[in-house]
Amino acid sequence: MSIESEVKDGYIELRFGPRWKYIAVVRAFIQNFLAVSFSDDVRADKIAMAASELLENAVKYANGEDTRIRVSLSSATGDIDISVSNKATPEAMASLKAMWDSVMTDDPLAAYVTKMKEAATRSDGKSQLGLVRIRYETGARMTLKTEGEFITIELKYVK
Amino acid sequence: MNKLGIESIKQGKVSINVSDAGAGISVAVEGDIDMQDPSVILDPLFDKVHKGCMDSGIKSVALDVRQLTFLNSSGIKAIAKWIMNLAGAPADKKYVIKIVQNKSIPWQTTSLSTLTFLVPGAVQLE
Repeated sequence: MSIESEVKDGYIELRFGPRWKYIAVVRAFIQNFLAVSFSDDVRADKIAMAASELLENAVKYANGEDTRIRVSLSSATGDIDISVSNKATPEAMASLKAMWDSVMTDDPLAAYVTKMKEAATRSDGKSQLGLVRIRYETGARMTLKTEGEFITIELKYVK
Repeated sequence: MNKLGIESIKQGKVSINVSDAGAGISVAVEGDIDMQDPSVILDPLFDKVHKGCMDSGIKSVALDVRQLTFLNSSGIKAIAKWIMNLAGAPADKKYVIKIVQNKSIPWQTTSLSTLTFLVPGAVQLE
């Protein structure tokens, strides 16, 4: 199904070679896109944070070019959908799935606090806080999908 | 220069200024912390603050983030690591981290409160 048939209202879709320096640019772009669409700075800020965290993961763990981000919204319901896709190796996919399972259990705040305590003792340079932060701070419904060499994380932010 | 002799930092989009604040000290952070590995600058800074407070008996550190416009999860990790140092500190050496927030910046109201759950009594939110 094409993006044009899925959305009732506005959307943006970006494809780019994953580079760290683009993340802040995309974050600001999404924040402005949502702010002018909904006049709700709080939601725009939360979604922009979530997009930024997902893009950080994509840049860190992508296997090659072609990272994709899509944000679509409905003025009728106020819902916002966001997805980030990137190519990943089978090993990276398995690692993300394992982390996903550990993040999606427990109460969102309890899971976040547990992961922060774990992060504080990590010595591998990773935080592994992005997903659990998104879950707690946005309250969005989160889905993980794999298709071929692409891995996609989708968020549905219901008003 | 502050009483702990810690130099201020300016790197990329972030500035960190350490100054005296009465009997305690203030660590004021401005800008965006969105670099790939903020621990490179934050871990050594927070280690110096922690050791300085333990050694000198300082009981209060203000972490002033009112001008911090973005903080990624790697930055949160660095702050959490600093706070967790207090979990194992001797009772007579412990100090309080007072986070001075800006409630007009939406992410701060949800992100910063979670830090108070790491070590009971170690963090206050103002």
